[in-house]
Amino acid sequence: MRDDLKVGVFLCECGGNIADIVDLDKVRQELDVEFVGQFENLCSLNGRKIIRDAIFDHDLDRVVVAACSPISHEKTFQDYVKPLNPYLMDMANIREQCSWVHDDKQKATAKAITLINASIEKVKQSDSVDPIYCQTPDEVAVIGGGIAGMNAALSLAKQGIKVTLIEQSPSIGGHMAKIGKVFSPVKIAEECGMCLLNPILNELVWNENICVLTNTKVIEAERRAGTYNLILEKSPRYVDTEKCIACGKCAEACEVEVPNDWNDNLSTRKAIYRPFGQSYPESYVIDMDNCTKCSNCVKACTMKAIKLRGKPERIPLQVGSIIVATGHKLFDMDKRPEYGYTRYDDVITQSELGRITGVNGPTKGKLLKSNGEVPKRVVMIQCVGSRDEKPDGHRYCSKICCTVALKNANIIKHKYPDTDVLICYTDIRTPGMFEKYYKHTQENEVRFMRGRPGEVVKKGDNFIVRTEDTLKGEFVEIEADMVVLSTAMEPSEGTKEIAEILNVGTTEDGFIKESHPKIKPIATDVQGIFVCGTAHDPKDITDSIMQATAAAAKVSEYNYGGVEIEPFIAEIDTEKCTVCGECIARCKYKSMSIQNDEIYIDPMSCTGCGKCLVGCKQMAIHVNGNIDEKILATIKGVLSKKQDGERMILVFLDNIGYTAADNIGVNRLKYPESIHIIKVISVNRVSPKHIHYALDNGADGVFIGEFPGDLMYDEVERKIQGVKDRISEMGENPDRITFSKVYIPYFSGLARKLTDFDKKIEELDEAEL
Amino acid sequence: MSSQQKITDSPIEFAVEIINDVKNSKDEGVLKCVQCGMCTSTCPAARHSDYNPREIIERVLDGDETILEDDNIWNCFYCYTCHSVCPVGNSVCEVNQILKQIAIENEMGYEKLYEYMGFADSYFTAAIGAIPEIFFTDIDRDVPGWWDFRQHLDEIRNELELDPPLMPSDDVIDEVSKILTITGFKAKIEKIRASQEGDNEEHSR
Repeated sequence: MRDDLKVGVFLCECGGNIADIVDLDKVRQELDVEFVGQFENLCSLNGRKIIRDAIFDHDLDRVVVAACSPISHEKTFQDYVKPLNPYLMDMANIREQCSWVHDDKQKATAKAITLINASIEKVKQSDSVDPIYCQTPDEVAVIGGGIAGMNAALSLAKQGIKVTLIEQSPSIGGHMAKIGKVFSPVKIAEECGMCLLNPILNELVWNENICVLTNTKVIEAERRAGTYNLILEKSPRYVDTEKCIACGKCAEACEVEVPNDWNDNLSTRKAIYRPFGQSYPESYVIDMDNCTKCSNCVKACTMKAIKLRGKPERIPLQVGSIIVATGHKLFDMDKRPEYGYTRYDDVITQSELGRITGVNGPTKGKLLKSNGEVPKRVVMIQCVGSRDEKPDGHRYCSKICCTVALKNANIIKHKYPDTDVLICYTDIRTPGMFEKYYKHTQENEVRFMRGRPGEVVKKGDNFIVRTEDTLKGEFVEIEADMVVLSTAMEPSEGTKEIAEILNVGTTEDGFIKESHPKIKPIATDVQGIFVCGTAHDPKDITDSIMQATAAAAKVSEYNYGGVEIEPFIAEIDTEKCTVCGECIARCKYKSMSIQNDEIYIDPMSCTGCGKCLVGCKQMAIHVNGNIDEKILATIKGVLSKKQDGERMILVFLDNIGYTAADNIGVNRLKYPESIHIIKVISVNRVSPKHIHYALDNGADGVFIGEFPGDLMYDEVERKIQGVKDRISEMGENPDRITFSKVYIPYFSGLARKLTDFDKKIEELDEAEL
Repeated sequence: MSSQQKITDSPIEFAVEIINDVKNSKDEGVLKCVQCGMCTSTCPAARHSDYNPREIIERVLDGDETILEDDNIWNCFYCYTCHSVCPVGNSVCEVNQILKQIAIENEMGYEKLYEYMGFADSYFTAAIGAIPEIFFTDIDRDVPGWWDFRQHLDEIRNELELDPPLMPSDDVIDEVSKILTITGFKAKIEKIRASQEGDNEEHSR
């Protein structure tokens, strides 16, 4: 039946990109189909007319477009084949994977014919399927109430979107609230951070579209059809925010004094406290870990706002998308004892210096040592925990510490011109306009020494900072009475927790990973989850705000357009299904759940990998789109016209691997003509059956590539090993099969691996002759 | 001081030679050095001499092979502090050992090695590496009370109810001596000794 289908093939010259290498006349002669068309630019509107006319005139059932990569123009040609169903068209990639990677015209032409034949066989197995559209709920959860989360929430709210802003501490405001002064590279001056933050905070508080939940954490998340069901846990505040007027009588009555974490523990606060002057909600809170339940506060409160009993409350929240803005924390100085931070009071961090110089800080803005004197010399040490491959260190540059040190040095110099400030640096990184601020700092008589100190020791009343002045090549011992450490930024605990709860990818450093570092810097690898601020990577306030507002725009896009989903996903036959739950346990993408006593498959997260198929005893699951047959047909097509002595290697790649392979062509690197790349929706769909068939029918080697970040990676690796074992039991050489890691950026590595594999297969062929 | 880099010069080759040395355990660490100077800031030899670990790497990366003749490379005593503090995972200490080995292979630095002959001898006489007697005065100066402590070690151990120190037996010493002879260690030592004592004889003549 399927063999009778009328197939039309359209050859694109691509202005010469293809036609200069591939002899298209020869290709036309070799093809055995109902119709062959050719045009210089098929993707143009004229191309559309050519394709559409041919479909009508020749009554075509299926279409093959031999042109560039489907990654570039699949959507275009799916549209051009109307009125045919978009999935009845297949693209043969004779540009990125043929004319751009091969020089020999004859061989390139032969390969183009093979690739087109493979597409013809494949498209005959294709069935009409309809793309799935998913509309997501408009509501958004913004997790993290720092400067990034606040700006994202505000931007969404102003677009009319309902936002829940979730903050785990008792107040929103984040690190910026305690930073003291801020500066911008254009203004050569430092200004009050709180004064800039407060208007944003006020606007946010009064916006009716925003619900602020403090003392609240996300503890569970589940995703169904583009809807996230979150479970939040709100810890009790013990003070009724509606009744509390923040008069402070309770704190006066409280007898428990504990270190004030908002002041980096440089001062104390009571067990009932307000985090800081402008904190929101404008209300006191009890730190139950330290409260003795003496009830003095209860008696002192004229508003009767205090209740010493309370339980965490669970709050369900349904949203369509999530913005992760869970921020950073600073490097733990216990890990670098050589700088004496835990031993000496006057070895402090830049954050603590910010509190000390802040007018709302422990010394009301006076720069004082622990003995109450003004320091004579402050030495700042850069790159503490950053640019450091030692255990517990971070390889990355924390990006803001150079400018933070410059800012704090200037603040000291303005108030205390007699205090000598020396910054020990490895490189001063002040890109763009920040360079002007660096010059300004030098003019302010702040001194710089190029050298990374190895240790700080106490000698008499002072410290000795041991370093090398690397510009002089001289070991120096610098006397100082205050040492300030520029500590690295690292992902906060909340960032690590939320990554796990939401199942979003993280970088090797534990930050939330964007879906593409260059062109998709806000989306995560999970649809509908976006990231902004320092949860993503180290950045300053300005960059955090920019990314936050961009994240809001991305959510808007997502809410407006809905999501189109490739329809090749699993489907349940409810007649056969016994709801045993085996598929739920097997699914690595957490796409399956039980809803109304039936298995429900979330079309957005299902990748069609097919893992659930194998475990279903009832055979109640199938994946749309005839995928097994299409893979088999493609293999048949590639091998159908194999010449004597021709080497044929089949390479199976999913979308990521295929993009990497395209990049080889885009960058005009080469690999042998024997390499034939077959795109599959998941390499897990390449079954032992396919591999056996390929090797039995003329394939000399099979290469399977997978991105190690894919959730199915380990699974596929195990499976391939199994296939190899079975192949060798059957007397064939398991070395003809290889499994390899593939990364999009590492296309040169893929080109080399393909070339090496070809060489290895050549050797095997020779040895077996 | 000025220097010229000719288009045909390939300064990196020296560094590559060192990276490829079997003694180097840090892969590409040498190439990743940013000259931050943390090694020098913690190096005891740098504090007390002109030895500068940062500069070692600088000169290696410059392809400056005259470093092999530099007396300063002999001031490193392998405390491995530079190895443990390096932020890019480099080990100047290992590089130093490689440099010294290349120097020795090229018959340089024999006079420096000669000072340590006592170590080598102790392998033959006791099958352990013992502190050569010529260092005793220096150690006693640097560590007050050390000589006294050493003189009375047996009594102190006795007082602490510790057994006498365990020393290799005669047959062990014999075996170690044989190994060192067969492997060519002894011949090397003799060559170094001859080169220096020969010199002395020449001088005395």
